[in-house]
Amino acid sequence: MNFELTQRQQLVRRSVRKFAEDVLAPVAPIFDKEAKYSEDIVKELSKINAWGIQLPEKYGGAELDSISYAITIEEISRICASTGLMLTVHNSVGAFPIYKWGTEEQKEKYLYDIATGKKISGFSWTEPNAGSDAQGIECIMIQDGEDFILNGSKIFVTNGAIGSVLLIGTRYKKENGQSGIAILILEKDMDGYEIGQPEEKMGMRGNITTSLYFHNIRVPKENVLGSLGEGFRIAMLTLDVGRIGIAAQALGIAQAAYEHAVEYSKGRIQFKRPISQFQGISFKLAEMATKIDAARLLVYRAAYNKDKKERFSKESAMCKYYAGKIAREVTQEAIQIHGGYGYMKDLPLERFHRDAAVTTIYEGTNEIMKLIIAQQILRGNL
Amino acid sequence: MLKIFVLIKQVPYLHNLEIDRRTGTLIREGVENIINPDDLYALELGLSLKEQYDGEITAMTMGPPQADFALRECLAMGVDHAILISDPIFAYSDTLQTTLVLKEAFDNIKDYDIIITGSQTSDSSTGQMPYQLSEALDIPLITDIFTMEIKDHDFYCHRNFGHESQHIQTGLPILVRTQRHFNEPRHISLKGIKRAFEKEIEMYNFDTFNCPDYLDGCNQSPTRLVKTEKIILKRKNEVIDGTTKDKIERLIHIMQEHGIERIWTGMSQDE
Repeated sequence: MNFELTQRQQLVRRSVRKFAEDVLAPVAPIFDKEAKYSEDIVKELSKINAWGIQLPEKYGGAELDSISYAITIEEISRICASTGLMLTVHNSVGAFPIYKWGTEEQKEKYLYDIATGKKISGFSWTEPNAGSDAQGIECIMIQDGEDFILNGSKIFVTNGAIGSVLLIGTRYKKENGQSGIAILILEKDMDGYEIGQPEEKMGMRGNITTSLYFHNIRVPKENVLGSLGEGFRIAMLTLDVGRIGIAAQALGIAQAAYEHAVEYSKGRIQFKRPISQFQGISFKLAEMATKIDAARLLVYRAAYNKDKKERFSKESAMCKYYAGKIAREVTQEAIQIHGGYGYMKDLPLERFHRDAAVTTIYEGTNEIMKLIIAQQILRGNL
Repeated sequence: MLKIFVLIKQVPYLHNLEIDRRTGTLIREGVENIINPDDLYALELGLSLKEQYDGEITAMTMGPPQADFALRECLAMGVDHAILISDPIFAYSDTLQTTLVLKEAFDNIKDYDIIITGSQTSDSSTGQMPYQLSEALDIPLITDIFTMEIKDHDFYCHRNFGHESQHIQTGLPILVRTQRHFNEPRHISLKGIKRAFEKEIEMYNFDTFNCPDYLDGCNQSPTRLVKTEKIILKRKNEVIDGTTKDKIERLIHIMQEHGIERIWTGMSQDE
């Protein structure tokens, strides 16, 4: 067993950290405050190949392993979680399924633009009446000659405003009269594709989340991902991958809060000594460090299993459940250590806490994570 | 094709360096190593020259085997080749011995147009190497340039010299020493990292180029580091008592002692 990162993975951490500190640190508070993102940052991210972290080089990707991918998301999120979100959704649930289940034509058509950041991608399943109950989606497509006509809507779409290639789940009518679930590749400029107003969110404010409305969109058959009846299975396998990225993101946020807390506690003098010298504070730091370390090991293990082509459904649910949970705890304790200063918007602690909150909600709530883990255990995958 | 060589050094990250009290040298174990920060400007210059003049760029370093990581970082940044000069015999070389080894390396390489260095290393701060190497190779050294151009195998540049701007023309090969913040070193791309580990790093050691016997870092270096001490900056506090006028006068006196000559207090003469 080897717990050491390879030299390549170490260099990924060092380089992405440098990039994030140089390029994202100045804009992260602005993105949060003004609930916006910038095209310049999208271009800067293209320069370091952050839009195609794992896609093959022939499509313009960097073709790195999954641990390098997790490290990249972790380091970006340590500085700007909103940008981390934009990247992780694009890479893991936008690009990955097209690469994994797409036809050669679909890959040729989309992957190069996706890998180079010319087109931002996303994945949208959630609807007003379908959240944790993922089978309950109500978008419907009806066959019309060689095409499908799509109607319905999606909510809480990450990358909703900037995404131009969106994978969405929809129902369709099977020949036997029952309904099945399929995934469609939609493009922003299709007739009848409407982007809703930006949502006002608690955190991740630099990612513009919107609803999407589909009004009689004519979608060619070639835009079905995988085979028609495969939609739900693809979605579940895709989310297994996506959760590693969300966990890495939660890990990055927790790491940032923890680093701030350590620095602050060493410099803050009360009762004539740094507050880090009081057990009440130092024990908090010890707990934070332990939780973060455990989360990191879970995240990298899930990524490792994925690359080894071993089962990772349970592992990715575990790492997402745990990293999200501890991100909330660690960011909260970091505010506590900072006292009143932690509550002020002058410091990023409250932003970390707001950003962390959603990591136990999206791509499957922590309650759903436990369901997945329990299902796996009871099926014999102890 | 323009053959560009950038000389780099792997140095310990200065953030949390400690000194071994027994030996008086830096403790390098367990410390993160990085490319010497000043060398990044040299690398950026080399890479931009390569792009502009369709050249070929090689990063070269002398150091222990683990210095290969610094070279991987150079490859990730975009250099084409990397050379690691490493041999236990070269350990503890001072700047002169290092220069002589580098001279052997370049005599072995033969075909070079531009050698680029940073201004100094963060772990020894001598800045002697570029001067010594240009002398050893008998090629011109130009420091602190801010524009440059290569035409018909001639090198044209502007450099700052005090309040002058000098326009210089010279033939190749030359040695260029960059100054800090002269450009903005590029960020490393993920694709660069992927490719950096697919390349070979060329290894040079004592036997590679028939080194003369005097290339013995430990025993032949004319200078020797005797002791390193950590500088601790302490503030001197002085509490000034008395009336406001006394305090102001004392304050002015202290400022004058420190060479601050023009002090405007806002007080009128007769006050």
